Amino acid sequence: MDFNYSIWLVIGIVGGVLSLGVAIFLYFWVMKQDPGTKAAQEVAGWIREGAAAYLKRLYAALTTLALIISVLIGIVFSLEKGVLGAESGSTSFLPFGVVMALAFITGSLCSAVAGFMGMRVAVEANVRTATAAGKDLAGAFKLSFYAGAVLGLAMVGLAVIGMSVIYMLTHNAQAVLGFSFGASTLALLAKAGGGIYTKTADIAADLVGKVEIGIPEDDPRNPAVVADNVGDNVGDVAGMGADIFDSYVASVVAVMLLGATFGLKERLDPTLYTILPLIICSLGILASLLGIQFVHVKEGGKPGAALNRGTIITCVIFIVMLFGLKLAFPIINTGVVWAAIAGIVVGVIIGFTSDYFTNDSFAPVKETSRVSTSGSAITIITGFSYGLISIIPSVIGIVTATLTAYYIAEANGLPGIYGIGIAAVGMLAISGMIVSADAYGPIVDNARGIAEMAGMGQEVIDRADVLDAAGNTAKAITKGFSISAAALTVLALFAAFSEVMAAHGVNITISLRSPIVVAGVFLGAITPPLFSALTMLAVTNNAFDMIEEIRRQFHAEPGILAGTHKPDYARCVSLAAHGALNSLAIPAFLAVGLPLVVGFVLGPDALGGFLGGAIFTGVIFALLMSNAGGLWDNAKKYIETGKFGGPGSEAHKAAVVGDTVGDPFKDTAGPSLNTLITVMSLVSSLFAPIIAAFHLFS
Amino acid sequence: MTIHFYFSLVPEALIASMLDPEEFGFYYAVGTSRKTRGQAMFFEVDPAYRNPYFRIDEALARCIPDEDGTPKTSVYISIYRVLEHIDLNALMSLYLTTQDGRTLELQPSPEIPNHEKGLHLYQEIAPVSPLVVSVLSPVEFYELIVRDPSSLVTVPAITFAELDLGELADDPEMGLMDNLPYSNSDHLRECLSQVKTKYISTKMVDRAYVPKLQYRTVKNGFFVGNSSQLKYYPMPSQTELRSENYRWFRSANM
Repeated sequence: MDFNYSIWLVIGIVGGVLSLGVAIFLYFWVMKQDPGTKAAQEVAGWIREGAAAYLKRLYAALTTLALIISVLIGIVFSLEKGVLGAESGSTSFLPFGVVMALAFITGSLCSAVAGFMGMRVAVEANVRTATAAGKDLAGAFKLSFYAGAVLGLAMVGLAVIGMSVIYMLTHNAQAVLGFSFGASTLALLAKAGGGIYTKTADIAADLVGKVEIGIPEDDPRNPAVVADNVGDNVGDVAGMGADIFDSYVASVVAVMLLGATFGLKERLDPTLYTILPLIICSLGILASLLGIQFVHVKEGGKPGAALNRGTIITCVIFIVMLFGLKLAFPIINTGVVWAAIAGIVVGVIIGFTSDYFTNDSFAPVKETSRVSTSGSAITIITGFSYGLISIIPSVIGIVTATLTAYYIAEANGLPGIYGIGIAAVGMLAISGMIVSADAYGPIVDNARGIAEMAGMGQEVIDRADVLDAAGNTAKAITKGFSISAAALTVLALFAAFSEVMAAHGVNITISLRSPIVVAGVFLGAITPPLFSALTMLAVTNNAFDMIEEIRRQFHAEPGILAGTHKPDYARCVSLAAHGALNSLAIPAFLAVGLPLVVGFVLGPDALGGFLGGAIFTGVIFALLMSNAGGLWDNAKKYIETGKFGGPGSEAHKAAVVGDTVGDPFKDTAGPSLNTLITVMSLVSSLFAPIIAAFHLFS
Repeated sequence: MTIHFYFSLVPEALIASMLDPEEFGFYYAVGTSRKTRGQAMFFEVDPAYRNPYFRIDEALARCIPDEDGTPKTSVYISIYRVLEHIDLNALMSLYLTTQDGRTLELQPSPEIPNHEKGLHLYQEIAPVSPLVVSVLSPVEFYELIVRDPSSLVTVPAITFAELDLGELADDPEMGLMDNLPYSNSDHLRECLSQVKTKYISTKMVDRAYVPKLQYRTVKNGFFVGNSSQLKYYPMPSQTELRSENYRWFRSANM
């Protein structure tokens, strides 16, 4: 068969539209389901209002930020006279700066729309899932998973549509980089802001509710309970959705940039190798759409097994499709197929090894629970140690994928670094399925909270518990998956950065004998820890304010604890939102400003070292914090099942301390770090031509 | 407004109140301004009950609503040796309140639990409050501590609960503790081993009352006895509590 590029771009767009169409269909299907009793709807209404209020504030802040950055991009790249546009044969009639600014805005907008759709359906699906759980497990599972699929499918659909349309209009991979930068900037703020929000509410609700007052979790008497449930949505739905959207787009754009530059250099077909990642993503969308059909449970079945089955089947379908593509179009290099397969296989393995460290069926969680009988200090030490160990399989996986993809690509006549980028794309190509499973988690978590708050009965809560346990596993797998994919993506972006620099006459030389490079490495290495510290301090500072507010409400209105007076939920929601958004300025500067400062002041080599340092500590910190936090959380839950003394025992008290420490680890700092390193790599690649021209040291 | 009498076990006190049992439990657990917390265990006492030892009518005269019409929360009638003097026939339901003010009502049962093989763990609640291991059944334990004239360690009346020992009841050395939240487990095992192997029927594990009794560890129920009778208040199973008193169950299982 002939390989017509335009048709493939159209197929990409059609795939994206199909994915988006199914997402919209599922959205309306979810909305048609029974919204439940008046009491349940009232509770869901509080959560919905809180989520909407937060999103409104977040998007208002981001609109301002996006406009400012897009104006800057427009000015800077217009002054650059669109050299890149000229190089890659742009046919755009607009100045290149305007194209970049528009691409940036489009990227931000697509990411925002995907997050908004996910949140919108999540806050409607939670109450419907709780209601469906009153009838049977299968129906509740189907509803919550399909609601999660709205985010997963909308996300990949919008991403592929956005990238394909921009490339189709501009024929310039650099313009797609603008799209990616827009998506990443929004993702960073959505993820970090959502992470700060959710843990502020969670910690404050627990410390006052459970520890001071002694009321159980999700008790409607707690003024922070709605903020806590809103946090599940803003952190794990909108935040995680934006995060994967960012990694997904960044991995594609890195390969597009490499395809464009290497294609020209190595006498390969540049257009083919530029659009190949979009083709792979289209296959991933189709595989996800098919794989989703296999996710179902029967009454008494295991939702976790159903989600895992869906992931594995999607992988298999995707691999078969890759072979089918190769058979149908022999022009496609075999190295691309095998590199993509290496990526997806390693991605799944990494996801499941993350599960090993956070699942209470395995030794790390059991051992951490056991040592909790000796107090919280040893709980922290043991959990932290297992967190450190958990880095190893993921890093080995990343190394394996990197080397395999590199040498397979080289062996097939492709640049090795292109193979690494393709491995990242392969890993993320089935994000439609992965995100669907991930977004299912907060929906069922919320459903359980609503069932609890609305007094929907023991049977509903029991079924919601079964659904919730599967959500935790899916969450752990997604985190391992997204961090590893981000690691491969930034490696490819780093190569793209070097190529862009080389195209502008600057050959990046990373030598530890150069003091400038060493300075860059150290500055880069401290950025992820500093970012983590700032976001976690934001959680503690905001939680402190919220704790005061919860105490004030309990003291001012005795009827709250008696259950005769409704707390002022909105006040806590507002405090959490305000605190989260106000805490983002410095972390945002670190991500966007610091690479530019290093680049313009210390020069391209230092910026190369900076990115290297940030990538390595970023990946390590992200894995450590995500896995240690998940491990502490599940160690506490394991004890609550009646092990090592059960609830109220000394072991339980120690595990609660571990869980509280782990909360901002796993839900605030850890998962934001992959977005941080992606944004820093994108900023560097985007501004590489300008940094190449203007820097103090060389 | 109706005036109720309550006999609080911790601290031992007889109280008149205009609050019904749930309201009183909530008030007693978290205070008027909700700034305190702590579980409460109390009996409702027959309002017709009178005893010259307690100045009940004087207390009744003081138990009037506040100026703003708010019901009187508590008038303390006695705070000393209440259990010793109260007639057990006057005790009605037993109420267990959690630290955040959720209250569960237990009704007395005429059926005392059968003697079960194995070791026993008793949390004495009033008038003294040690934790004791024993080879004796609840009835035998009550007989020993209240009615056995040969025993040196006696009290005129007692309230206690039997706590769950799980596998430790039969195998104190190697049995799994799993869902048992008791602190200092090595000492508990050692005490159990001693009563199993030595010629003693009881041994004190802890001198002081734990500030919070884990309601979920109560094996079969609460016993209150004096020289003339023993009353038993059975505790519903965890499954029953979960299905029929979910809110209380959640609070009690924190």
